[in-house]
Amino acid sequence: MSKERIKINQEFYDIMPVEYQELVEEGTYGKEGRGWKDVGESKELIEEHSLCAGCPESIAFRYVLACLPAPEDTIMVGSTGCTSLVFPHVAVHNIHSLFGNQNAVASGLKRALSYRFPDKVKDVVVLAGDGATVDIGLDMTLQSWFRQEKFTTICFDNELYANTGGQSSGLMQKGFVAKMAPAGKKFDKVPLPEIAKSSGCHYVVKMTVSKPNRVEKAIREAILVAREVGPTYIQLYTPCILEIGKQMMEGLQEMRDSEGPNKRFEFEEYVSDEARAYLDTVNPKKRKRKKAIVTK
Amino acid sequence: MYAVAEVIDDLCVANKGCRLCIMYCPEANTIIFNKEKQVAEVVEERCKGCELCVVVCSAAKHNAITLVHR
Repeated sequence: MSKERIKINQEFYDIMPVEYQELVEEGTYGKEGRGWKDVGESKELIEEHSLCAGCPESIAFRYVLACLPAPEDTIMVGSTGCTSLVFPHVAVHNIHSLFGNQNAVASGLKRALSYRFPDKVKDVVVLAGDGATVDIGLDMTLQSWFRQEKFTTICFDNELYANTGGQSSGLMQKGFVAKMAPAGKKFDKVPLPEIAKSSGCHYVVKMTVSKPNRVEKAIREAILVAREVGPTYIQLYTPCILEIGKQMMEGLQEMRDSEGPNKRFEFEEYVSDEARAYLDTVNPKKRKRKKAIVTK
Repeated sequence: MYAVAEVIDDLCVANKGCRLCIMYCPEANTIIFNKEKQVAEVVEERCKGCELCVVVCSAAKHNAITLVHR
């Protein structure tokens, strides 16, 4: 999409909503090196969402949208869940798919875009909850990785079906008791990052969203790798404070508590050799600087 | 009556590069960096009063944000 199309026709400028005018004036479309540092100083691509007060998922949403390398050329595919409540408030092209179908829809979309715009770079980003990715849509998720479809899959892992009252999901930790799972989870958390590695993903990250600079690096690199090399997967821990019995200001601490050494969301990154070689060509300067520090 | 966050301008250290409350606020476009005054600023209409900004600001010992009832 041309960035000019985001502008407002001058004759209609005064009747457009203030939020839209701000988006055109101060939005970060087409800006080089977007990142979380733009947050607070320019207009974000998300506005007045309807998630609960203090929801860590909305923090994750802000970072993801702030870190997309080219939002004007990105199409996001969502699925049913709390994420689908936010997509109507997002200023990036998005598609809502049936529950679990998100990776199948994204596969078709990516292929259609490569036929329609052969000269342009179009990013497709799937953003769904853990129920859509692991339980209901595991078939579509895995098949898209086997086929080496070039798009990024982001899973917002809150470890249960939060939107419907707290039923257990495949990603829930073993033994956890939720409101609608009173007997406790019977089996281990599905190791989706490991499955992703062996299914052909070239860049896999598992982490919480408590450190925006890490989220920025992961999102950016995952999308760059997905453009050239193959499928990528990011699993972000976004706890549902309501369902795990926390106060609204405790979400951040919950994420920090779960990312310590040997905890279930300890930072893990897997980059395939192919992806590493490609990333080295994209950020050569940063790599050199890091090496220099090590040799000292 | 709603609780919303309020920044105490004299205690805010955003001019030294602190962006904690802006970073961890779950609401978009709600805590904004005021470039003229060099402090963080809360847009009250969008604030849901979750207190996360108070927690991160107090944890860093700035204590520049409080909840007020409007």
